[in-house]
Amino acid sequence: MSEERAWHPRRAGPFVANRVLLVLLAAALMGVVLLPFAAMAPNRLMSGQGVNVAVALLPWQWLSLAGLAMVLALCTLARPFPSRLARWLTLIIAPLWLLLALYGLGDYAFRTLQDASPAARVSQGAAFWILVFCPVLMIIDAFQRLGSGLAVRGFYTAALVAMVGALFASGIFDGLSIMQEYANNRDTFAAEFLTHLRLVGLALGPALLVGLPLGLLARRSPSARGPLFGVLNFFQTIPSIALFALLVAPLSALGEALPWLKALGVGGIGAAPAIIALIMYSLLPIVRNTYAGFAGVPATTIEAARGMGMTARQILWRVEVPLALPVILSGLRIVTVQAIGLTVVAALIGAGGLGSFIFQGLGQYAIDLVMLGAVPTIALAVVADFLLQILVSLSKPAGTR
Amino acid sequence: MIELQGLTKIYGDKTVVDDISLRVDSGEFGVLIGPSGCGKSTTLRMINRLIPATHGRILLGDDDVTQLPVEQLRRRIGYAIQSIGLFPHWSVAENIAVVPGLLKWPKSRIDERVDELMGLFHLDVGELRDKYPHQLSGGQAQRVGVARALAADPEVLLMDEPFGAVDPLTREVLQDELLRVHQHTRKTIVFVTHDMDEALKLASRIALLNTGRLVQYDRPIELLTRPADDFVRSFIGKADLGLKLLSRRWVHQYQQHATLQGSPAASTQAGYTWEVDATGRPTCLHGGRLHAEDRQQHTEVTQEWSATPDMTMKEALSRMVWFRVMVLPVIDGEGRLIGEVTMHGVMGQQPCA
Amino acid sequence: MRVAALKRPTSRDGLLASLSALLVLLVLFMEELAPLFQALFPELGNPVYRRESFLQLTLDHLLLVLVSSLISVSVGVGAGLFVTRRSGREFEPMVSSLAAIGQTFPPAAVLAIVVPLAGFGFVPTIVALTLYGLLPVVQNTIAGLGTVPPAALEAARGIGMTRGQILRRVELPMAMRVIIAGVRVSVIINIGTATIGSTVGAQSLGTPIIAGLVGNNIAYVIQGAVLVGLLAIVSDLIFERLERRFTFGD
Repeated sequence: MSEERAWHPRRAGPFVANRVLLVLLAAALMGVVLLPFAAMAPNRLMSGQGVNVAVALLPWQWLSLAGLAMVLALCTLARPFPSRLARWLTLIIAPLWLLLALYGLGDYAFRTLQDASPAARVSQGAAFWILVFCPVLMIIDAFQRLGSGLAVRGFYTAALVAMVGALFASGIFDGLSIMQEYANNRDTFAAEFLTHLRLVGLALGPALLVGLPLGLLARRSPSARGPLFGVLNFFQTIPSIALFALLVAPLSALGEALPWLKALGVGGIGAAPAIIALIMYSLLPIVRNTYAGFAGVPATTIEAARGMGMTARQILWRVEVPLALPVILSGLRIVTVQAIGLTVVAALIGAGGLGSFIFQGLGQYAIDLVMLGAVPTIALAVVADFLLQILVSLSKPAGTR
Repeated sequence: MIELQGLTKIYGDKTVVDDISLRVDSGEFGVLIGPSGCGKSTTLRMINRLIPATHGRILLGDDDVTQLPVEQLRRRIGYAIQSIGLFPHWSVAENIAVVPGLLKWPKSRIDERVDELMGLFHLDVGELRDKYPHQLSGGQAQRVGVARALAADPEVLLMDEPFGAVDPLTREVLQDELLRVHQHTRKTIVFVTHDMDEALKLASRIALLNTGRLVQYDRPIELLTRPADDFVRSFIGKADLGLKLLSRRWVHQYQQHATLQGSPAASTQAGYTWEVDATGRPTCLHGGRLHAEDRQQHTEVTQEWSATPDMTMKEALSRMVWFRVMVLPVIDGEGRLIGEVTMHGVMGQQPCA
Repeated sequence: MRVAALKRPTSRDGLLASLSALLVLLVLFMEELAPLFQALFPELGNPVYRRESFLQLTLDHLLLVLVSSLISVSVGVGAGLFVTRRSGREFEPMVSSLAAIGQTFPPAAVLAIVVPLAGFGFVPTIVALTLYGLLPVVQNTIAGLGTVPPAALEAARGIGMTRGQILRRVELPMAMRVIIAGVRVSVIINIGTATIGSTVGAQSLGTPIIAGLVGNNIAYVIQGAVLVGLLAIVSDLIFERLERRFTFGD
């Protein structure tokens, strides 16, 4: 049908070459005009007064932002840049935009707080987040269009993260309220961060130890498969807070009954129910992916291996495991990200972790404290996801990539 | 040598293979054939014990296969299957080297063997050695599969419909190659197929199975001319039985003396004569057409319009039909006329003789 | 084409019926269990949560989930359809990676960031649940439409179906099972996240859990957790049944 309309220019037209970039740019510009870039509050418990980007930033800063936006606008068009050049330009301009937005916010906080009361707080507004996320999406889009390999993407991402890290290290953000919260909670932050990682690690270790053999069992024994997946799916369905909470009562009873367990830290409140619940949640993806990985090894490949005289052990380690590994590691990727998120909730039953900042902050209506918990959690999840994604592609055998 | 003695496989109350006894001698090419579900694959897979036999014995040389450790047994037997079963995560060379590796051959010997086998199967070592299975064509992958089965120089080669998944043209080439390799290595081969033409082309002996029983085990020509019962007859197919027979006969068996133009015998023969050039190559046929009025016509001899002694009579007959002549010149390697085959000869001789 | 219900796993249906009955009974008559909780936890003054009725809490919870899921499903399926049509195909990679990256964000963290920005309470919680619930729906709509074999589309074009007919009669029925699986994930996550909504001022079945954790009343915790756990499992079983209805062939 559309072939009949071939005379009609495609809706993207010969004029606009990249509608995705155009939409992202339009969204960014609209957000920046309509929404506050930063918020200024007299103290940490009051909600802030929105400040527009043109007010918050120095003229050279917002003029640069506008200039970069102009170049990006040209990149959306079919002319003057050829499409490949436009994509590479996007990969250069978008991070500049991102870094400038970050720098601008820090700089605004620094300038404003110099002649304000010591209790005053500057925090990031919605337009700031838009100025951070839109460039990231532009970068993703450009890479998708270029079809670049994981190595290029990984290197680029590492460089970008290093630059943002350098901005943090330079102290430019120290004026921001989230950084002030960090400064006030420096010691507890490090401790809670480590607690968070420890909870995730303590859950994933046993989950792998149990889940991998269970996945293999599900593959080898069809009769075990149904009930096993039924039970694990049951765990996965129960809302996290309910599962955490339901473990509190039996564990406290257990801790009361067996003092030596209590001495080990097993009790109703704390890390023990959190870790047990996290293990229960982690089992399903691990078992499911282990099963799927082994089930995905072609039956003829295994038959050939047997016919050639490989022992069962040789078939497992030299044929099945290498071929199943990418799928198994995808399962690990899922549970790692999931466990990082669920550990937030574990703070409600006193297990600690970054979630304690979030719920403490929500309790005190201190948004910056919430941010201090939430932003690092999200960053942790995204970074873990990215690293495990690289691991998954590395694990793919050369012949199957 | 492989010998099956009263081999039986029972699943639950279903007898899949029923008391099969047969023997494939060293260097023979045995083919198991039959309709789907006749037990031919099961029989094959009992030989290398991928499936345990319920009753009966299998001898590999002088050894009862159940007396050997199973992995050791399988390393002595090459195995090639329909979907090839190449290991997707290993290169061509690594795939071929599997069994030698399991047998712990030294690396240099394995490398040599890989190159040798790739050469034997016309696989370009430089180009294909480090390719992965998904980068190969169907025919190449199949060759690697057979090369892999031969890698450790096994006493016996088991093949389960190895050419089932390739196109007809490639299949023919692979069959020719397998015949060549068989002649070259004189391996004992047990080959499963459901394609009678393939069986007739490859086999030195054919075992026809039906519902788990061995119906007939014979040389191909015996199967065609002395079918044991109606099932054999119907499985071979009545429609082109004559042509199938001719596919097992060769031109040299029907070759007659050719009469040259101007020779004394010229007038007494069937009424056609050959003209040859100075080197003895046939150039022209006088007469030899179907109808009497065409007898004086000349027919130019071309490459397509001639026969060689190792050509099947089926092909020779096909050429006669295509060029609408009663006779074909038989030429040797240098193209010299060494005889003729005629339609009368085809008709006049018992094909089963 | 008929929607085929294959084998009837009656045991699953029986499980669904009995768990639903248990859920309803517990919601209505939790009060009657006061002696049981008193016996289990003799040290507690108030063995049953009474600030709001469990019926009210359950309805609040369901309202949060229903409203957010309805918006998520309509917007999510719409977005999934848009990016798989000719005019929106350019956006497909971007939307797919957005959905994938977005789902790595922990739901609790998203809730904690979005709700304070939009002010505490019911509506901001709905916004957060909707945003998060969108992602699996979009992802599975794209994936489900992607599973339709090209041969089926070509055949549909070949017999002269219009694009609307192809979508309604070929693509959507064939993609339905995967789309429902996405809605299932979305709803189950939202039931869980709505529970945490009680920490940002939206009343739900999480309210007695939080109250119990804060006030050291383990009976409250159990009452809320059992109800919300049952609610999630019953919903999951309903979706499982629904998916079975849309399973064709094996």
